[in-house]
Amino acid sequence: MALSGGVDRGSHSMDKSITLPPDEIFRNLENAKRFAIDIGGSLTKLAYYSTVQHKVAKVRSFDHSTKVSVQETDGDPLYEISVQEEITARLHFIKFENAYIETCLDFIKDHLVNTETKVIKATGGGAHKFKDLIEKKLKLKVDKEDEMTCLIKGCNFVLKNIPHEAFVYAKHADSEFRFQHTHPDIFPYLLINIGSGVSIVKVEAEDKFERIGGSSIGGGTFWGLGALLTKTKRFDELLQLASKGQHTNVDMLVKDIYGGAYGSLGLTGDLIASSFGKSATTDKEFSKEDMAKSLLHMISNDIGQLACLYAKLHNLTRVYFGGFFIRGHPVTMHTITYSINFFTKGEVQALFLRHEGYLGAIGAFLKGAEEDNPNQYSWGENYAGSSGLMSVSPELNPVQRARSGTFDMLEMDRLERQLVNLPLLQDPTSYIPDTVDLTEDVLAREYWLYCFEEALDGVVKRAIASQKDQPKAVERAEKFRQKYRHKLQTLRHQPLLSRRRMTWP
Amino acid sequence: MALSGGVDRGSHSMDKSITLPPDEIFRNLENAKRFAIDIGGSLTKLAYYSTVQHKVAKVRSFDHSTKVSVQETDGDPLYEISVQEEITARLHFIKFENAYIETCLDFIKDHLVNTETKVIKATGGGAHKFKDLIEKKLKLKVDKEDEMTCLIKGCNFVLKNIPHEAFVYAKHADSEFRFQHTHPDIFPYLLINIGSGVSIVKVEAEDKFERIGGSSIGGGTFWGLGALLTKTKRFDELLQLASKGQHTNVDMLVKDIYGGAYGSLGLTGDLIASSFGKSATTDKEFSKEDMAKSLLHMISNDIGQLACLYAKLHNLTRVYFGGFFIRGHPVTMHTITYSINFFTKGEVQALFLRHEGYLGAIGAFLKGAEEDNPNQYSWGENYAGSSGLMSVSPELNPVQRARSGTFPFDMLEMDRLERQLVNLPLLQDPTSYIPDTVDLTEDVLAREYWLYCFEEALDGVVKRAIASQKDQPKAVERAEKFRQKYRHKLQTLRHQPFAYGSLTVRSLLDTREHCLNEFNFPDPYSKIKQKENDMALKYYLKVVKSVEELSWEQRQFTLVKGLLAGNVFDWGAKAVSDVLESDPEFGFEQAKQQLQERPWLVDAYNQWIERLKGPPHKCALFFVDNSGIDIILGVFPFIRELLIRGTEVVLASNSGPALNDVTNSELQILTERIAAMDPVIHTALKEDRLALVQNGSSSPCLDLSRLDKVLATVVRERGTDLVIIEGMGRAIHTNYYAMLSCESLKLAVIKNSWLAERLGGKIFSVVFKYEVPSKAQG
Repeated sequence: MALSGGVDRGSHSMDKSITLPPDEIFRNLENAKRFAIDIGGSLTKLAYYSTVQHKVAKVRSFDHSTKVSVQETDGDPLYEISVQEEITARLHFIKFENAYIETCLDFIKDHLVNTETKVIKATGGGAHKFKDLIEKKLKLKVDKEDEMTCLIKGCNFVLKNIPHEAFVYAKHADSEFRFQHTHPDIFPYLLINIGSGVSIVKVEAEDKFERIGGSSIGGGTFWGLGALLTKTKRFDELLQLASKGQHTNVDMLVKDIYGGAYGSLGLTGDLIASSFGKSATTDKEFSKEDMAKSLLHMISNDIGQLACLYAKLHNLTRVYFGGFFIRGHPVTMHTITYSINFFTKGEVQALFLRHEGYLGAIGAFLKGAEEDNPNQYSWGENYAGSSGLMSVSPELNPVQRARSGTFDMLEMDRLERQLVNLPLLQDPTSYIPDTVDLTEDVLAREYWLYCFEEALDGVVKRAIASQKDQPKAVERAEKFRQKYRHKLQTLRHQPLLSRRRMTWP
Repeated sequence: MALSGGVDRGSHSMDKSITLPPDEIFRNLENAKRFAIDIGGSLTKLAYYSTVQHKVAKVRSFDHSTKVSVQETDGDPLYEISVQEEITARLHFIKFENAYIETCLDFIKDHLVNTETKVIKATGGGAHKFKDLIEKKLKLKVDKEDEMTCLIKGCNFVLKNIPHEAFVYAKHADSEFRFQHTHPDIFPYLLINIGSGVSIVKVEAEDKFERIGGSSIGGGTFWGLGALLTKTKRFDELLQLASKGQHTNVDMLVKDIYGGAYGSLGLTGDLIASSFGKSATTDKEFSKEDMAKSLLHMISNDIGQLACLYAKLHNLTRVYFGGFFIRGHPVTMHTITYSINFFTKGEVQALFLRHEGYLGAIGAFLKGAEEDNPNQYSWGENYAGSSGLMSVSPELNPVQRARSGTFPFDMLEMDRLERQLVNLPLLQDPTSYIPDTVDLTEDVLAREYWLYCFEEALDGVVKRAIASQKDQPKAVERAEKFRQKYRHKLQTLRHQPFAYGSLTVRSLLDTREHCLNEFNFPDPYSKIKQKENDMALKYYLKVVKSVEELSWEQRQFTLVKGLLAGNVFDWGAKAVSDVLESDPEFGFEQAKQQLQERPWLVDAYNQWIERLKGPPHKCALFFVDNSGIDIILGVFPFIRELLIRGTEVVLASNSGPALNDVTNSELQILTERIAAMDPVIHTALKEDRLALVQNGSSSPCLDLSRLDKVLATVVRERGTDLVIIEGMGRAIHTNYYAMLSCESLKLAVIKNSWLAERLGGKIFSVVFKYEVPSKAQG
């Protein structure tokens, strides 16, 4: 099946191809159930639940029913080792461009075995648009869930279950992303969702949230005004333009009016006095890049100020930003962060989420899975099956961006038991398990990456040796080597953009 | 000098011409000093101070050093009237487009006589750009003042001195502008200044303010983005485009995403979800109008939300909007108002200012005039010299707009009042006191009637003005100019009733007085008043004697009836002036017969009599009305009885002339004369139980929140416990609903059939309102 090319939406030609075969994206479809789909303006997020057959090494004591002392069993192995199949639960989340939706639905249909599934939970603005297509293709009834409820449910879930979910963005710091240690008590917080417009939501408890504000100046405004001003119709390209522009050519700064700072009011000369102020009275042409940058600043600053004011009014210090305007775009994360710093004088930090794009899908899935009570378990991110956070800054990493393609995956394994704090921790909120943070300690990072790559051959050898009699052990060990080496390489090239806090083993 | 045409600034061609000759714009330049200039992005505001020579009618008692009784002077006038020059201070503020700046500076230079002036205070973004030009042209040193300080100073000044400065804008209401009654305490407030960017300033006291926030999305953004999107370079044209557009063609609404409302979040379907959201994914062309409208909504809503959040955070409820984005543009006032309503759910109202464009210039001027201590005086808007607020909505009034140009020149003049004005201490609630009974901006029928009525009466006023100055030069010519100016004001008010704040009978009367003064008719009724006073004095003792013979009950009724009959003599009311004009012998007794029989239209006479049977009042404050029969044969016998009862009396009369109302200086002479005849009055004056004070006004109406400070002191010191307000102007057109903290009598004869009918009566109906405040309100 060719997932790449051939799909064209008018002027938005798809110049991307997928490097992964579809069965490595939609994994375990045979065992899939409880589908949920979140269709946004440009991206679709699919969620499902599967059971995974693992090989597990089990140890079992030999039968010592005839009482003998340990000394007497000398020479015999102490216990027996057997490899067994174990079934665990896994959550799959896959993100792809809306253009692929039909192809993906076909693939799912072809591979779906489980027939108990009758319903697919759906959310997002595009849900009603694609409703008929989904019902026709999958023969599942589309069951719409409230978008905001899903978003908040998903947000609560990732904040609770993924330790390094939230991060602070710092463009010029050593490590671009500074991950936050999730506090056991995640409430209350403010979620600023910047989609086409902006929703400002105060979340006080698992099921208690309120949209306390909003603004019509959001991602759609950047996109829409940007398209009108630059004739560039693609959101990503607009961001790319913006990252190259000089806003000072278009904006009127304080110094443009007063010749310098306006000291008595505490306004520095470089402060933007009027967005697009220069285009009001100047007849010259403005570059696309400059206009896009000015627009980006205008919108980010505005949202930043609104966020601060709502945070202050409601006395909240944790402010998370999400939505497609933010989603993995360093340019917007940077301007939002700058704006929040400016307006709160550093009192509030702008926080971003690694899996922000999945929140709606996760929430919709959780709504559908309520009978399984997924909130009673603890879940852990499966690093092998998840794509991780990518820097999609066109400026910073054009190569990596092209390679990452259009599919992004998150897999979470259900842990057999609920995990909690050691009650003896002096201060659970400040407890950090890892001694060294390799995202910040460059020397240590280089050493350990080298060290783990060096040790890889030995690990592969050991793996093969452990399953001499098992089928395809060598082949599988080779796949392991490739996958792990690839992960290490990714981490080497994008130490600052890594998908999670890199730590000493 | 031709100020019109010929000035071109690149693509912004000047398609306007000025209709006024420059000497009617830059008035009194001969006496001008203390210049200040505020140069904004497109408009210049000039301020200066001048002294104005007024002709004032003065009355002076003849020298009666040889003691003779009044009877003996029969035939001689009681007092002498002379027209004198008086000098008062005036503030001039003129606004014009920057394109005219050089021409205007030349004109000023040519006409500036005063050479003491060495400095011109300057503020505004353009101040440094034009500094050299100003210094070269005017030979004055440019002294820059902080922009924000000037803005706030100016804002405080207009809020304090112009009663109907602030207004609420309501596009679809009967009256587009709803004026607010300025509270005595104007602080704290929030000022949202929308210039190129937005400044959000919290003002806590005269000299205490803080810029608590701001935004780069302001007027410059509308202009700049608008120019890029529509290729329209003029701000006004952009607004015009916006007023014709449909934002829903460009914006993504909630219903565009969800097919309807998003009920669980309380979002209606028509709410804008994403400004310009449709242009993100649609390939079609968008109309200039639609894009401009969408942009306007985006910016107004954003500012509205920020304003609300800052108001909430700082617990402020008064939020004023200004800056060029707002300045007289109904389109932006409408969207801002809508936004504020939406975000505060009606808890906060967006307030706008009539003279918003002048704040910086006023503030800069005040900075320069600090040694004159302008804040110690009260100032009043001169309706004759001020342009008034115009509706510049291109949609609403294209004709008027074209005619006036886009404000090529706009003027504000404020006269310094000789005394500081304060509240009457006896107002029950100064913050809710509204002097005017009917707001003609809201009451369409009443407005039409009164505008018609004032226009009808104009001929008579002109005639009267000419007659009052038969021997004066150019009286006919000046009277004709007065007629033109006042008629023009009336016409303006017919089309734009909000031009000077709430339109009221009082403002129509005051405007007429200002226009008369403008053309040196300071007191057209002086001679008539003189004649009437002379005549009435002759009957005084007769009236007093006839009253004294009556029983107590009869006496009280006759005194009240005399008061009312006296009030029939009123040149201000057309019906009466017609009668008086044709039959000067119309007598006091005839007037009594004209009065409505009891029960009167409003009749609290019985309660009043019951009250009089009780202990005497401590002190009565009497706001008197007309000269002649009214004051002499009506008021004096009445207060004489009060004095005899043991009540002190304070007579409050106008500081300056208005119609045939008795002025303070006339009343002093009259009182002297009466005292010479009547030992009761004589003794009362000697013992200071009868006092005369001026009310601080030159209006036939009465604003109890703007009274001479001395009056307030006297009222307080004497423990005033009764307030009597007499006449249509003071007790009906104004103060009919005024709540006082002591007993009050409001009495008048309705000498206007339309008004009488409206109140449910006929012409010469009587209003006799006696009110006692409830104890609870104490």
